[in-house]
Amino acid sequence: MPESPFFLILVTSSLAGLVAGFVMHRSDFCVTAMFRDMFLFRDFFLLRMLVLLVVASMLAFELGRLAGVLRPYPFPLLGAPSLASLIGGLVFGIGMVLAGGCVVGTLYKLGAGSVAGGVAFLGMILGSAFYAEWHPVWSAFAKATVLTPAITLPQALALPPTVLILPLAAVGAYLLLQWHRQGKLTRPAYTAGHIAPWKAALILALIGFASYLLVGMPLGITTSYAKLGALLESQVWPEHVAQLAYFKALPLAYVAPFGSETLRGGPGPAFDAVGAIQYPLIGGIILGAFISAMLVGEFRLHFRIPQRQYVSALLGGVLLGMAARMVPGCNIWHLWGGVPILAGQSLLFLLGLLPGTWIGSKLLTRFVIR
Amino acid sequence: MAEPTCIQLDIHGQVCPSCLLLTLKTLNQHGDSVRAGQTEIIVMTNDRKSVDTIPDAVGKMGYQAEVTRLESGYRIRIYGH
Repeated sequence: MPESPFFLILVTSSLAGLVAGFVMHRSDFCVTAMFRDMFLFRDFFLLRMLVLLVVASMLAFELGRLAGVLRPYPFPLLGAPSLASLIGGLVFGIGMVLAGGCVVGTLYKLGAGSVAGGVAFLGMILGSAFYAEWHPVWSAFAKATVLTPAITLPQALALPPTVLILPLAAVGAYLLLQWHRQGKLTRPAYTAGHIAPWKAALILALIGFASYLLVGMPLGITTSYAKLGALLESQVWPEHVAQLAYFKALPLAYVAPFGSETLRGGPGPAFDAVGAIQYPLIGGIILGAFISAMLVGEFRLHFRIPQRQYVSALLGGVLLGMAARMVPGCNIWHLWGGVPILAGQSLLFLLGLLPGTWIGSKLLTRFVIR
Repeated sequence: MAEPTCIQLDIHGQVCPSCLLLTLKTLNQHGDSVRAGQTEIIVMTNDRKSVDTIPDAVGKMGYQAEVTRLESGYRIRIYGH
């Protein structure tokens, strides 16, 4: 066995990214569209897929917790819920609609050849690095508006998680069964190699569970955008990066499920546990989507798109990058990881995401796509 | 009867949901003509989602849609009866 404590993490995250990227491209599993199309087209189909993913993850995580195989619980990097998560969610919603995809969505689109996705990716790195400049102010605001020191809703109510999670999952399962009977979980598809979104939702729930089981937390990638930003910025402005408090922090300190030593990591430029978990995920998603697009012969770069769409993708990316640090965490982390265990930050993020997506949709149809 | 005129929309590479929005906008402007069989709308795109959603969306509005494969994307033909 290799001695690096990162070995299992690197392998798991790479595979998780590859499969997720492939599956998301084939089924066009776009979280942004799930919320946006509800406002723009009164189309709730994709939102039902999110319900399926969340309910499946709720059951998997809760059964895993009861079996004692998910450690630590709740997973690391979640903090006390505060207004910062709510406002961050709102900004995130605006950003993801303008960028044409969320953090993960733009990655699989980039892998399939979307130039706008690439521009949004750069915007996110910029936005994340920019956040480091005013992190002290934001962090003070977050501390001042903490609603409860408890991480999850069951903790806040001093209840065993099962008591809240299983009934909620049962309600979700009942809804899904109704939708299934009404034929609302499938729709015709005309694309080559299409994977039905309901299958994608279950596969992604399984990947999230595998990541929690083997890495110690579900899928998350945004801290490493700040990391990439810090790395690039330190090439031109090393003294400045070195004195920013945000890049010195090591918010991640945990013992991985199959490890013995404490792994640490943060948004700073050095390669650490955050890099080991998240860089392979980013690379894997891009590569998985690229392979998928090549196999169906659909990879091609198109640069000739309206200029305002480049501007929108960049601005949206910057907003996403900043918002992901304000929350902190992205929609994949919170919706696929935190909501299933009823984490307070994640529930507030979701609450902010709804009006944010609505505002983003208004801006998009007013200024971008005309 | 004369051949219908074609309105071509090349939406390769654009951000979501340009494809569906621009298709609906064009249908708003030329709907009567499309319904009467005088105009057809040809959408060319590599956006997989809209290839799956446009036929459904325009079908509900009473139009026909036909998807064919292009070299690196798809062509959606929207027409009346």
